[in-house]
Amino acid sequence: MLANGEIGRVSMKASFLFVQVFFCLCVLFSCSKKLDLSQKVLYQRVKAEIKGFDPIHASDSYSAREVSKVYEGLFEYHYLKRPYTLAPNLADGMPHIADDGLTYTFKIRRGVYFHDNPCFENGQGRELTAEDFVYSIMRLADPKNSSPGWWVLDEKIKGLNEWRDLQKTAEMSDYNLSIEGLKALDKYTLQFILKRPFPQFLYSLAMQFTSVVPKEAVKKYKSEFINNPVGTGAYMTETFNALSNKIVYVANPKFREKFYPTEGSEGDEERGLLKAAGKRVPFIKKIVTYIMPEHSPAWLSFLKGEVDELEIPKDNFDQAIAPDKSVTNNLSQKGVEVEVENALDVTYFAFNHTNPLLQNLNLRRAMSLAINRDKLNELFYHGLGIKAQTPIPPGIKGYDESYKNKYTAYNIQEAKSLLEQAGYKDGKGLPEIAYDTISTTVYRQIAEFFVKEMAQIGVKVKPNFNTWPQLLKKIKTRQTQIHAISWVADYPDAENFLQLLYGPNSAPGANGSNFNDSIFNQKFSHVSLMQDSSERTKLYVQLAQEVAEKVPWILGVHRTNFRLKHGWIKNYKGTEFKHGIEQYWDIDLDKKKELIAKF
Amino acid sequence: MNNLIYFIRRFLYLIPVLLGVCLIIFFLFNIVVGDPTPLLLGKNATIEQMETLREELGLNRALYLQYFDIVKSAFTLDFGRSWATKQQISQMIINGVVPTLSMTLPAFFLSTFISLIVAIVVAFYRGGKVDFVVRAACIAGMSIPSLSYILFFQYYLAYQEGLFPIQGYDYGFPHFIPFIILPALIWIILSIGPDVRFFRTVILDELYQDYVRTAKAKGLSQVNILFKHVLRNSLIPVITYVVIQLPYLILGAILLENFFSIPGIGSMILSALNSNDFPVLKSLAVITSLALIIFSLLTDFLYTLVDPRVKLS
Repeated sequence: MLANGEIGRVSMKASFLFVQVFFCLCVLFSCSKKLDLSQKVLYQRVKAEIKGFDPIHASDSYSAREVSKVYEGLFEYHYLKRPYTLAPNLADGMPHIADDGLTYTFKIRRGVYFHDNPCFENGQGRELTAEDFVYSIMRLADPKNSSPGWWVLDEKIKGLNEWRDLQKTAEMSDYNLSIEGLKALDKYTLQFILKRPFPQFLYSLAMQFTSVVPKEAVKKYKSEFINNPVGTGAYMTETFNALSNKIVYVANPKFREKFYPTEGSEGDEERGLLKAAGKRVPFIKKIVTYIMPEHSPAWLSFLKGEVDELEIPKDNFDQAIAPDKSVTNNLSQKGVEVEVENALDVTYFAFNHTNPLLQNLNLRRAMSLAINRDKLNELFYHGLGIKAQTPIPPGIKGYDESYKNKYTAYNIQEAKSLLEQAGYKDGKGLPEIAYDTISTTVYRQIAEFFVKEMAQIGVKVKPNFNTWPQLLKKIKTRQTQIHAISWVADYPDAENFLQLLYGPNSAPGANGSNFNDSIFNQKFSHVSLMQDSSERTKLYVQLAQEVAEKVPWILGVHRTNFRLKHGWIKNYKGTEFKHGIEQYWDIDLDKKKELIAKF
Repeated sequence: MNNLIYFIRRFLYLIPVLLGVCLIIFFLFNIVVGDPTPLLLGKNATIEQMETLREELGLNRALYLQYFDIVKSAFTLDFGRSWATKQQISQMIINGVVPTLSMTLPAFFLSTFISLIVAIVVAFYRGGKVDFVVRAACIAGMSIPSLSYILFFQYYLAYQEGLFPIQGYDYGFPHFIPFIILPALIWIILSIGPDVRFFRTVILDELYQDYVRTAKAKGLSQVNILFKHVLRNSLIPVITYVVIQLPYLILGAILLENFFSIPGIGSMILSALNSNDFPVLKSLAVITSLALIIFSLLTDFLYTLVDPRVKLS
C-alpha cells in the first residue's frame, strides 16, 4: 500500500511539476493584445492572404484593397458622392476627350513623389512623370507578367495588343518600342488613343491594375518586386512579409497635399461626414492589417476593440443587427455603429440559351414565376437583399426603383399555365434539367431550394455540384443547362451588367448564358458607346426592362452589405470601391479611450 | 558496420518510394483535379488568356514531362514559385515551419510527457476509481469535436477572461510565446485522451509480464519496477507512436493555425487549397513523404538504443 502511494506521489509530482511550469509560463507571458492608444492607429481585418504588392497581380478584392493603400492611379471614386463618380487622383483634372471619343489627353499632377526607397538615387523618391504611366500600362500588357488584369485594356488601346503579341515570342520584353495609342507627350502629359469608342475607359484607370509603379523598383527587385512596394500612395508598408499574418503601414511623410472632399451626397452633412472638409489627408498615422481567415476570432477581436471595422460574419449577424436593420442594443451601448450599403451585384440562375429546350420563352417564364424570392431572400440573405427586377442593381444609373418585372413575382398558377403553353402540362414530357452550382454549403442549400420550388410546377431539376474551376469551365464551354451565379460590378456602369447578355460576348466571353437577341444586341451596341447622359440612362432603363421580360435568367437578388465600425472611427462611409478609402478616415482618440474602458 | 549498411540500403529505398509518391502526386494534381487557370485569372478570364497561362505554367506539356518536373523538384527541393502568391515556395515553407513548430513542438512534447505519466498512474491503479475516472475523462474528451474546444477556449479564456491574445503571432523569441500558449493548451487537451489510452494499454501489457512478477518477488520497490523496468520495456511501441507523429508536426494543425491566425504550414495548406495553388500543395506532399520516410528510419534506429536485442540488418 505504501508502495502504491509512493508511485502515485512520484508520478503525480512529476506531472504537477510540468503543469506548474506550463502555467507559470502562461502567467508570465500571457496577456491580451495591448492597444496603442497614444496615436491614431487603425486596426483592420482581411480574411484571405494577400497576394503580394504588385498592382498588376492584385486581382482579388482583398489584395486590391491593400495594394491601393500604397499605389495610386489616375482616378479614384469620389469618397462621398453617390451614385459613384470618378474623381481625379494622380490626374490633374478630367482629361480632354477628342470629338471622335478616341483620344484621351491627361495632365499629370505635378509634385507627386514616389516613396523613398533604395531603388532610387540616394534613396529619395523621385517625381512622378507621364512616362511612369506608359511604363506601368506596358507592364500590365506584358505577356511575361501574366497579369489577371489584362482584360481591362485588352483590345482597347491602339497598338497595345500588337506590342503584346510581339513580346510573346521575344526573349526579353522591349519597353522602348513606341505604341501608337500610349504616349507621354511631355513630362506631365499623357495620351491614350483607343481603337474604338469606349466610354467606360476612365473606369479602367481607377482600377488597381493601372496603378503607377516606378521602373527603378521593378528593375531592382525583379521577381521580389511583389514584396517591395514603392508607390505614391498615402501609406507605405513598414513591415510586410507575404507569409506573415500582419501588415503594418505608416503614413507617407512626403505625401502630396491632398484634401478631404468638400462636397458629398444628400445626408452626408447631417451625418458629420463633411466636418473634415478641406483638411489635409491622411489623418491616421498607422494601419495594422491582420490576416484572419476565420470569422470567429475576427468577431471576438472586433468586440474587444482590437479590430476597428468589420464585415459582419454570417453566423454573428443576428447578434449584430436587429430586425429594423440597426445595431443591437448590446453593441450600440459600446458605441458600435452599422453602415449599410447596397452591393453593386446581381445573383441569378442563368439559362443556357444554346440549349434548344431552354429557348422556349414560356418555359423560362414559368420557371421564373415558380421561385418565391421572398423566401429566397429570407433564407439566404437575411431578408435584406433587394429582389432583382432587371440585371442592373440600385446605385447604378439605369436602375429604376419603381419598375416591377411581372416575371419575378411568385405566382404558381400563372407558372403552371405558362408551362402548359410551353407544351409541358404539369411538367409532362419535360426532360430533367441539370442545375450546376458550386459545392459550398450555401450554394448546396440554394440548389435544394431551387429543386423544391421547381417541383411545385412539375419541373424536375437535377443538381450537379462542382468546384469553382469546374463550374467555370462548364460555363465557358457551354455545357450547363442552368447554373447559379452572381456578378459583381467591375465599375459602376450599367454596361458592365448588360454586356452579360450581349450576343457577341457569349461563352467563353462574359455572357455565360449565351443569350443572343438581335434587337437587344443592336440597342446595346448603340447605348454602350454613348457618353454618360440622361438620354443614355433612359435608354439603359428601357433596355434593362425589355430584356428582363424575355427572362434570359431567373433573377435573384441584389445583395446588401453590412459593416460594423466602432464609434471612434470618423468620416466612415460605406462604399463598394474600397481602394484607398482609409486615407479619409480619422480616429477620435479620446472617444476610443472612453469607449474601450466600457469593454 | 551492419547499421551503416542498413542505413545506406534504407536511403536507397528512398528513391523508388519517392518516385512512387511523385506518381501519386502527379496523378492527383495533374490528372484528377481540374484546370486551375480560371481561378488564377478571375471572372473576366478569356479562353485565350487561359490557354496562354496554361502554356506558361507548363500544363500543356506532355504528361511525362510534367511528371519529370515533380520528380526533379522532389530531388532538388526546388519547388519554384507559388501560382497564387508568386512567392518562392521554399521560402514560404521555411517561414511557415517556424510558427508551426513553435506551437506544435512544445505542445507535442508536453502532451506526450503528461500522458505518459498519467498512463503509468492509471495502469498501476488499473480497475480502481482513478483508472475509471481518467478513462471516462479521456473518452469524454475525445468525443468532443476539436472545433468546440477551440471556440470555447478562444471565447472564454481569450475574449472573456483576457488571459491570452484572441489571435495573432509575432516572430522572434520570446514575442511569439503569448500567441502559442492557448493553441498549445488546446493541442495538449486534444492529445491527452488518445495518448493516455494508448500508453495505458502498452504499459498494462508489460505489467502482466513474468519479469514484473519476478521483480516483485525479489522485493524491488514499485517505483523501481515501474520506472526502471516496465517503462523501459514499453518504450518500443511508445517510440513508434511518438516518432511517427513528428513529421505531422511540421504540417501543423490546420484548424488551430487558422483560428489563431498563426502563419504556419497549416494555414498555408488551407490557402493553397482555396486558391488551387498546386505547386504549394505538391511541395508539401513531397516534404511530408520525405519526412515520414526519414522519421520511420529514425524509429528503427531508436529501437536499437532502447532494446539491445534489436539488430538492424
